[in-house]
Amino acid sequence: MAGPDDADSDERETNPVISGHDVVKEYVTGGETVRALRGIDFRVDPGEFVAIVGPSGSGKSTLLNMLGLLDVPTSGLVELNGLDVETFGDAERTRKRKETIGFVFQSFHLIPTLTAVENVEVPRLLDRTPRKTRDAATDLLERVGLGERLDHYPDELSGGQKQRVAIARALVNEPRLLLADEPTGNLDRDTGDQILAEFDEITDEGVAVVTVTHDDYVAQSADRVVNLIDGTVREDEEAVTG
Amino acid sequence: MNFLDRLWGAFPAFLMARRNVARAKTRSALAVAVILIGVVAIGAIGAGGVAFQESQFETLGSIGADIQVFAGEDNENGHLTAADVGRIDRVSGQAEIVPLKQANADVIRGGSTAGSATLYGVEEPSALYEVSEGSIPQNWRKGVLVGSTLADRYDLRPGSKVTLRRTVTEDGETVRRTEEYRVTAVLAQAGQADIANPNEAFVLPPGEFDDDVFAQVIVRSDDATTANETAMQIKRTFNGRRQIVAVFERGDIAEQIDEAFRLINLFLVGIGAISLVVAGVSIANVMLMSAIERREEIGVLRAVGYQKLDIVRIMLAEATLLGVVGSLLGGAVTLGIVAVINDVLLGDPFAFPPGSLQYVVVGMVFGVIASLLAGIYPAWTAARERPVEALRG
Ligand SMILES: Nc1ncnc2c1ncn2[C@@H]1O[C@H](COP(=O)(O)OP(=O)(O)OP(=O)(O)O)[C@@H](O)[C@H]1O
Ligand SMILES: [Mg+2]
Repeated sequence: MAGPDDADSDERETNPVISGHDVVKEYVTGGETVRALRGIDFRVDPGEFVAIVGPSGSGKSTLLNMLGLLDVPTSGLVELNGLDVETFGDAERTRKRKETIGFVFQSFHLIPTLTAVENVEVPRLLDRTPRKTRDAATDLLERVGLGERLDHYPDELSGGQKQRVAIARALVNEPRLLLADEPTGNLDRDTGDQILAEFDEITDEGVAVVTVTHDDYVAQSADRVVNLIDGTVREDEEAVTG
Repeated sequence: MNFLDRLWGAFPAFLMARRNVARAKTRSALAVAVILIGVVAIGAIGAGGVAFQESQFETLGSIGADIQVFAGEDNENGHLTAADVGRIDRVSGQAEIVPLKQANADVIRGGSTAGSATLYGVEEPSALYEVSEGSIPQNWRKGVLVGSTLADRYDLRPGSKVTLRRTVTEDGETVRRTEEYRVTAVLAQAGQADIANPNEAFVLPPGEFDDDVFAQVIVRSDDATTANETAMQIKRTFNGRRQIVAVFERGDIAEQIDEAFRLINLFLVGIGAISLVVAGVSIANVMLMSAIERREEIGVLRAVGYQKLDIVRIMLAEATLLGVVGSLLGGAVTLGIVAVINDVLLGDPFAFPPGSLQYVVVGMVFGVIASLLAGIYPAWTAARERPVEALRG
């Protein structure tokens, strides 16, 4: 993630996974227009660990939604692997999400009727490769230390365990970009550390991780910190955490 | 992973549907129950109606292929003559004809009149009647056959004697004649609409009646169509501008009764179908609640790459699952109910009349279709929701 003055650092060798230029997002509610993003530039490279910090209401989740192709900007250019996302229809965007992006939500959003391993399988259930999917899901759960909890339902898991299931789910499609909205928000420090360690490991494999956080220590372990204030990227290096 | 898991793996939409149905147990059970009721309403009413129709036909007797010929209103004789019978026989071709004589008599018990009865004179009683006790003599010259109601009333059995008094013409004079007859057979109970119903009658050899006087001629064809043609033919032969004979076609009545039953049944099934509409609305309601409850969950699915149509498929699978379970249970319950109806009306639980099971199947099919249709709107509502909105909570 880069501020506007980073525009001339484009000569980096690798192509960004996703990049944005002069991205504006406005919400119209009851005749009033809220400018959640006021024209920001960003880029995320493979293997990067980026933390987005900023006060509540500054547009962090909005930005994450742009990165995750869950929403389109009001104006400006967002490019995924060099392709303008504006040109994608809903079906195409959905397909791109499946192919390249993994989500970890703040409140886990596990499906309560499915077991841990089934939850991890969810993004690939429709592929009709049950055996391969089951193997991949089992591997991932073992990797995040939940090999013993495969058949537990979400309400039988602790908060940290649920979040690790959510991370495994985000990784099951082998994404190039992992997006997390306050993944440690509900967790104690130790569990948060486990999750950070997991992110570290993922980035080593070339997956870009972008996480929104309020926690200083999460920001500190990031490669790069983007400080969002009131819909714009603050240039000073001091991170203002909420 | 075991076989069952793999099976579900091949139908991921149904895996999720099954889990969701199992999650909200009470709600799913209620949805299944309304579908069940709808299926039972259609199936039991339809199949029950068919059984009722069948039982009515059993009591109405065999209808359709018989026509009756009487003297018409312009007939100077007031009755059919032997010559008329001969002409009818010629015109009717293949059809069997049964000329019938008729009179009234008083039944005399212990010297006084105990009641009155109809007397029929038939050449070949076996063509019209079935015997329940005794037998019709080979050479049918004397003796009397008793209808079942009279046999009960006067306690008559084969071998009993019965005294009848009636008015006859002897040498051009009208006289009252009292005669004793020996009962040779008691006739089986006949259906309400049977021709020359013998239940309240005595059947005598035709020699006991005036020679040339016939009350009616019954023409028995193979089927209603032939009967209709024969009737036309007879009318053409006898009736010009004057109505010498009156032809009573039973095929018409049979058709009308049939049609009436069919309409009543259709009407009742229609009422049953309304209950399936109600069931559909209830399914729609359940699915809408399910969609609202799972708003976030569906948002997650959309976020991780499920297309709108995938969501529709999952929701429809759920509605269909409810419909299939409801319809299967409903079908089973319906069969039970129809078996009871069959037992009561037809005397055999498994005597499913033709078309009876059809209603059960139709009920079940409609049950599934209603659920599927009811699922479409909620499914589309759920699929259309933007994942960002859904995930905001
Ligand atoms: N769907 C929406 N409709 C209207 N306004 C919205 C919508 N989503 C976000 N906003 C507004 O946009 C601004 C940025 O919201 P956003 O959720 O991105 O903030 P945030 O930085 O994630 O805050 P928090 O740290 O509290 O999660 C806020 O003022 C918010 O009220
Ligand atoms: Mg937020």
